Amino acid sequence: MNAKHGAGYWLFHRGKDGSRAGRLLTHLFLILACIVAIYPILRVMSVSLRPGDRLLSTSLAIIPADATMGNYKEAFDRGFLLWIWNSLVITLSTATIGVLLASASAYAFARWEFKGKNGGLVFLFATQMIPAAMLMIPLYIIAVRMGLIGTWKGLVIAYSVSSIPFSIWMLKGYYDTIPIELEEAALIDGTSRIGAFYRIILPLSTPSLAICFLFNFMTAWNDYLLARIILQKPGMWTWPLGLQSFIMNFRTEWGAYSAGAIMVSIPVMILFFISSKWLISGMTLGSVKG
Amino acid sequence: MKRLIAMFIVVLLAFALVAGCAKKVAPPEDVVIEMWTQENEKEALPYLQALAAAYTAAHPNVTFEIVSKETEVLREDFQTSSLAGNAPDLLWTVSDHAGPFVVAQLIQPVDSLINMNDYVESVVMDNKTWAVPIAAGNHLTFLYNKKFVAEAPADSDAMIALAKQLQADKKVTYGLVFNQLEPFWLVPFLGGFNGKVFAADGVTPTLNTPEMIAALQFFYDLKFTHKIVPVEADYSAADTLFKEGKAAMLINGDWSFSDYATVLGADLGIARIPMIKSTGKYPAPYTAGKYYMIAADVTGAKLEACADFIKFATNYENQIQLVTQYKRLPGLKAALADPVIANDPILKGSAEQMSVGTPQPNVLEMRAVWDAMKPEMNKVWGGKMKPADAAVAMQAAAEAGIAAQK
Amino acid sequence: MKNLTGAVIGKSLGEVGLTVLTIIVAVAVLELILYFILHKLLKHRLATPIMLIAPAAIGMAMLIVYPLLYELRLAFSNMNLYHFKNPEFSLAQGLANFKRIFTEPVLKQVTILPLLVRTFIWTFIQITFHVAGGLTLALLLNRKIKFKGIYRAFLVFPWAIPQIIAVLAWRGEFHYEYGYFNIMLQNLGLAAINWKQDPFWNFVAINMVNIWLGVPFMMITLLGGLQSIDSTYYEAAEIDGAGGFTKFRTITLPLLKPILTPSVVYGIIWTFNNFNVPYFINEQELESSDILVTALFRAAFEYNQYGFSAAFALVIFLILLGLTVLYMRISNFKPALRRARAMVAETSE
Repeated sequence: MNAKHGAGYWLFHRGKDGSRAGRLLTHLFLILACIVAIYPILRVMSVSLRPGDRLLSTSLAIIPADATMGNYKEAFDRGFLLWIWNSLVITLSTATIGVLLASASAYAFARWEFKGKNGGLVFLFATQMIPAAMLMIPLYIIAVRMGLIGTWKGLVIAYSVSSIPFSIWMLKGYYDTIPIELEEAALIDGTSRIGAFYRIILPLSTPSLAICFLFNFMTAWNDYLLARIILQKPGMWTWPLGLQSFIMNFRTEWGAYSAGAIMVSIPVMILFFISSKWLISGMTLGSVKG
Repeated sequence: MKRLIAMFIVVLLAFALVAGCAKKVAPPEDVVIEMWTQENEKEALPYLQALAAAYTAAHPNVTFEIVSKETEVLREDFQTSSLAGNAPDLLWTVSDHAGPFVVAQLIQPVDSLINMNDYVESVVMDNKTWAVPIAAGNHLTFLYNKKFVAEAPADSDAMIALAKQLQADKKVTYGLVFNQLEPFWLVPFLGGFNGKVFAADGVTPTLNTPEMIAALQFFYDLKFTHKIVPVEADYSAADTLFKEGKAAMLINGDWSFSDYATVLGADLGIARIPMIKSTGKYPAPYTAGKYYMIAADVTGAKLEACADFIKFATNYENQIQLVTQYKRLPGLKAALADPVIANDPILKGSAEQMSVGTPQPNVLEMRAVWDAMKPEMNKVWGGKMKPADAAVAMQAAAEAGIAAQK
Repeated sequence: MKNLTGAVIGKSLGEVGLTVLTIIVAVAVLELILYFILHKLLKHRLATPIMLIAPAAIGMAMLIVYPLLYELRLAFSNMNLYHFKNPEFSLAQGLANFKRIFTEPVLKQVTILPLLVRTFIWTFIQITFHVAGGLTLALLLNRKIKFKGIYRAFLVFPWAIPQIIAVLAWRGEFHYEYGYFNIMLQNLGLAAINWKQDPFWNFVAINMVNIWLGVPFMMITLLGGLQSIDSTYYEAAEIDGAGGFTKFRTITLPLLKPILTPSVVYGIIWTFNNFNVPYFINEQELESSDILVTALFRAAFEYNQYGFSAAFALVIFLILLGLTVLYMRISNFKPALRRARAMVAETSE
């Protein structure tokens, strides 16, 4: 760090010509932040490697002396692979449907003027503020009336819809940044409006679509409340229900639970890794066309 | 005109959608019983699955769909599904669920279906019996590791002295451990000091009493005066310490026996929680149990099948199997009298403890009382509150909680 | 049943595939009908946008609008376990519910005002730390340094991990004897803290966990904002001799605002309604750690006061709506977005 500037300089300086010491400090700080970010998860890993359900230990060692893979085996024996598979199938299909539905609606909101448009947008925005747990009972009643209890249909439909408001806001914000002249040129060439949307807008919106997909995926992947009331049979469980079955009335099988927890984090990590190149450019959080 | 046609098509479409989604009805001669249980794979779920399979083998037209849910989840989900008219038919659950279910009219009386004289005391409200006992118990008991404790201490003073001695000799880290988080562990000691949670009417909480203060003071002394319990111990901590031989004595429920028997083998001792020296009375844990309950709107052939299955599942042979396999005390009188219980040291200790227990109230008010006791008791454990103040706060919180339920 | 066999895979793919197919067919039929009605029959001006919105709108009506109306109706009832199957619906009952929210304890002892104050403090602390932490990391990651991708991958960890798992992992770390924090405090020769029993420290614990969870999202959004800032602005400022902090204050912050404002708005909504963290870290159910939504959950599902809690949910929703609108007013939400659009349009040309 350059002594005459102080800490503020170090942080706010853009670092193109940063000194070696400054760069070193940057790396040190980032490494520290990374440790803070992953340490709690390493502790979960540590529990998953301990034999017996020893959640508690005074040792801070990540890999215990008596490490074993027994908990992972236990998780697999209880049906872990099936739960993960169920979750993956449901989540991937809902994320796809959700993004498709939202991308079309967002286009209507971005390119047309109609009565109630602002009202609609505000409504969509306001739905984000409803405490989710409150909707469970009426949702259950609908699911019963439509015969969706104990089926994946109910979950696929519910998850697809639940992410739509957020996706519409995000995609509309992104579409708004795409110059309208691009479509106008295509319309002059004789393409239909839908054709222009499909050929010009969608490809240009890849980053934002990817982010929507990621958000939809995460919402469905992590859901416990809805899955709990809609699915019953163990063979159909998604992973949150499966892991919940390790938590008993008073006692919890922490070993197997932690092993499962480590493993369910992997698909999300992969997805984050794949989408990382869009993650930064695609995050345009909504706008009100003013 | 055009708009009219448009409307017509939309309405038609809506009808088509609704019709397409309508539920298909199963043929009448086959009965599918949907059953929820709060047992899980590590508990008696395999036993229940085997019972169902055996019943189906004998009655091929009756099949079962068994779903396992955590206790609280089962209660919430049963309420929700009843509201939507989609409740399961049969439940295997804990007795304290009967309170809310009866109040909300979600289960039906069983007197006319099953001869209740064959069973131990069951859930009776409004002069009707609402559940069939599967296993009695669910009570807290005193467990000790024979490596450190030759014989269960005679009274609370002896227990404290022994714990101090063991700690002084560095044989164990803690003399006594138990789940300090839950008021379920406070209730036995309240009883040991002659206190009760409810007044004689069964619904008015009596938490601000000298007896409650004495019980809380006992807890406070265990930790701060005698220093024989950990600073903080939830269920897992107590469990881990006892299993690892770092604690000599444990207070835990009958559901945990088979687990400890596996880990400690012959070193496991089970007895009554030691008598409170100053009152000469044994601590009185809540006793409850697991019960079959039938949903309110089950009728006809399905109801008959449910009742018949319950009779089969609680017959002598099946009850004895539950006793030997899971170390639980049976709900059928004939099985309870069987010598297999007197001959098993674990079951004998459990039965002795149960004989001084108090049946856990099934009333809805119990919920408010649990919630009222928990934080205040924990403040005493944390040294943040005097027992006398905690008792006052508990009473006020319980009364407010009960008022809120109505 | 437990193993993932070929047959199971086939069956699950079949069921989900069928569902997806049903949805596609339903949407196609809907679109065709709308096309004929709106385009051919009515020649409606807005035929295309209606067709684009219709599938999502139907889904929303079913899964969001209906439940909302149901809750609204429930707010005017006395439904609880004593009146479970046949609750009374009346205006008087509804008014009594609303009156109770403001005049009587919402749970056992706590009334709405302390809950509200705590929820505001909680939201304020969280947003402050999320923005400060996220901005610091984003500024560092925006530098020309090595291993940026690796750092970024590790830093998004708290966001990517399923929240409930992260929360339960953290809860273990607050254990008096076995938790990481007390072990470290004692290694440093300090007194251990009663994280779960002491109301103040319990609230601190809840805040620590949520800061950890929330920083990565801010970091990513703000990094996106930083990267969209044209470097010529900085070069021009450097010619004028501006220092690091001046550049940050005069260029970075104003140009970041269009991204910052909406992320803060979403941050407020998510934090205000965050359930998992305050509910699960508060293992001993201290009412002193409850925020509005956790109190709501307890009222509804632990005390089964369905009618009352529906009214309570409505009040919480309105408070949050008010807070969000207020923030948007203060921070000039609309103009900020207009500037953002102009800026992005400029750079993309």
